[in-house]
Amino acid sequence: MRRTSPSAGQPAEVILENPTVVQNAERKMSFPANVTAGKEKVKGSRRRRSSSLMYQEPPESLEQQSDQAVLPNLNAQWVNAKGAWLIHIICILLLKILYDIIPSISQETSWTLVNTTYMFATYLMFHYVRGIPFEFNAGAYDNLNMWEQIDNEDQYTPAKKFLLAVPICLFLVSTHYTRYDLVLFVVNLLATAAVVVPKLPALHRMRFSFFNPDLEHSESDHR
Amino acid sequence: MPDSLLTNTSYLSAAQNSELPSTALHYLDTALSYIQKIPGSSIVIRYIKTSHQNDPVRTVIELFLFIFAVRYLLAPTYSTKKTKNVSLSEEEIEELVEDWTPEPLVSDVTEFERVENERRPVIVGPAGPKVKLLNGRTVTNLASYNHYNFANNPDLTQKAVNTVRTYGVGPCSPPGFYGTQDVHMKSEADIASHVGLPAAIIYAQSFSTISSVIPAFMKRGDIIVADKAVNYPIRKGLQISRSQVRWYEHNDMDDLERVLQRLVKEGQGKQLTRRFIVTEGLFECVGDMVDLPRIVELKMKYKFRILLDETWSYGVLGRSGRGVTEHQNVDPTNVDMIIGGLAGALASGGGFCASTEEIVEHQRLSAASYTFSAALPAFLATTASETVSMLQEQPNIIQSLRENIKTMWTMLDPRSDWVRCTSSQDNPVMLLVLKDQHVEERALSTADQDSLLQDCVDEALANGVLITRLKGMPSPLGVAPRDLQKEWQPRPALKVCVTNALSRKETERAGTVIRHAITTVMRGKKWQRQS
Repeated sequence: MRRTSPSAGQPAEVILENPTVVQNAERKMSFPANVTAGKEKVKGSRRRRSSSLMYQEPPESLEQQSDQAVLPNLNAQWVNAKGAWLIHIICILLLKILYDIIPSISQETSWTLVNTTYMFATYLMFHYVRGIPFEFNAGAYDNLNMWEQIDNEDQYTPAKKFLLAVPICLFLVSTHYTRYDLVLFVVNLLATAAVVVPKLPALHRMRFSFFNPDLEHSESDHR
Repeated sequence: MPDSLLTNTSYLSAAQNSELPSTALHYLDTALSYIQKIPGSSIVIRYIKTSHQNDPVRTVIELFLFIFAVRYLLAPTYSTKKTKNVSLSEEEIEELVEDWTPEPLVSDVTEFERVENERRPVIVGPAGPKVKLLNGRTVTNLASYNHYNFANNPDLTQKAVNTVRTYGVGPCSPPGFYGTQDVHMKSEADIASHVGLPAAIIYAQSFSTISSVIPAFMKRGDIIVADKAVNYPIRKGLQISRSQVRWYEHNDMDDLERVLQRLVKEGQGKQLTRRFIVTEGLFECVGDMVDLPRIVELKMKYKFRILLDETWSYGVLGRSGRGVTEHQNVDPTNVDMIIGGLAGALASGGGFCASTEEIVEHQRLSAASYTFSAALPAFLATTASETVSMLQEQPNIIQSLRENIKTMWTMLDPRSDWVRCTSSQDNPVMLLVLKDQHVEERALSTADQDSLLQDCVDEALANGVLITRLKGMPSPLGVAPRDLQKEWQPRPALKVCVTNALSRKETERAGTVIRHAITTVMRGKKWQRQS
């Protein structure tokens, strides 16, 4: 009953040529699946060559997709709710007030701190943490960060446009008020790049191998 | 942006002054004055004026960011999900609809099922050690889990009736709303103190207890090590949890250790996940007992948690029915979760999970069958409390059951040439499988063995003893028959449920009848070797 996962350690091309392995992958699905779905699962197994620096998070298995579809994604759908956009502006203003009331902080430092704090917080929320903090679908979104969960992975949706526009505007404003000090400009620019670059559609589901430990054995083996 | 670009150029051109014709200059000036009328435009103009500051690189960067943002905002929405919809014409759709034949909701009755249904005995009146069948005969009942004959205890019946008069029949609500009554809380406390753990939670169905406890604590990426012979509810729980399941050979502690070792090795340098060992106290499909001290030792060594299903051992094993922990002298706090059934020997219904307070409280919101199904009827909760205290106060009833098991065991296992008992010697549910030599000699397939044993059941019933068979597990959906053979399936077996309501003599007599029934069938013409 303990099954060896489909030829662990072999590249995907070899797996596809081996019909018995495709059979294995099919059998592992707990509901009827046609042959194409089985092949897809093999292709989509979470495995990559160790040499490449970047790799793309493969599409989820059929079972995982159906788990995702069971309930609306409560973790990501609030970004479209009323007030979710306004709260960004309010938070930025509150941050500004907070840093302004600290004595002996100049306007330049204050704006830079507002900018970096906002960028750090949104990076943490949208790009660093994966999965869903609440438990309602057995970890069906564990491979995706929140940005990728928003709007069912669609690109250029209103919410995503807003969330990208806010850091850029904040950057332009804060560079202006830091009076173009070179050091502060570079700090602000790097902070902004850290949240803008991962939002690019071209980097959807892309991962750096360096930050992600080896995934060789993480393929789930049900039953 | 066009505005600011314009002002930018007009500002520049005004500075250079001479190059442009006067009309153009005039237009620019009027444009500038219009722009200045727009509220807030002065901020933009001042921003552009100050932002340049003799640093073209920075201006380029800012300009680039701005253009990028505008382009992003104007881009149309698209989906990254590949849609595989094939466009079909009307005729093609019609054709497909006509070709399609729906699978029946219920598959046709197989020949074996038909025969089984025809011969199925029907009990009239209350269940007990002696039952009256529909055809008027009275037979000895060794087919129900009424091991202590609590089902016919007049005190328990009276107390249940009283509870029904006070609380009504059902709570009509899940425990989370208003289904929890004082009797449920009392039963939980009684069971927790009986098992010897800080807290317990009662589920309304024995089957769904473990299949919702497992997914309440485990999800994708978690690791479960399970015995190959675990029962069907556990399998369902493992499946729902979506965890990574590794199996070890049934009750083979060395194999378990090997699996744990490998998992620990694989897990090095990776994110830590929850890791569980799932096994049963008395195995439903085999009948034998787990080696709990060894598993606890391995759990400590490799840092796993234990989830022990005592559905068949709670109330049966140990001096006062506490289960495997008491029988094998293991401190129950070493087992992380103990799941037990109240539906079997305890003559009540439902199941429980006993553990620490935190683990129990977590289940009150995240265990599906606790949250979403109606609470246990009050009279079953009081019955469970009563039977638990009876087991503690009168250990002699457990002793007399053991005597009867021993009697039945001696009548069957050593004396029969045809079958052997795979159950533990303390298990009141005796599973009798055909000896390997006969299966091989007569080349009996699993289906053959099932129908042979059904003949044994019928023969025993004809001689006045009602026993039953171990039913196989339903196969998972969508699995090819060829792969199904590799799945673990219990061996076909006869199920004899010993009860202490029968005297030693009666048990001996019933045992003899069963033994002779098996012998008659095995010697009969029908099941001789087909050559």
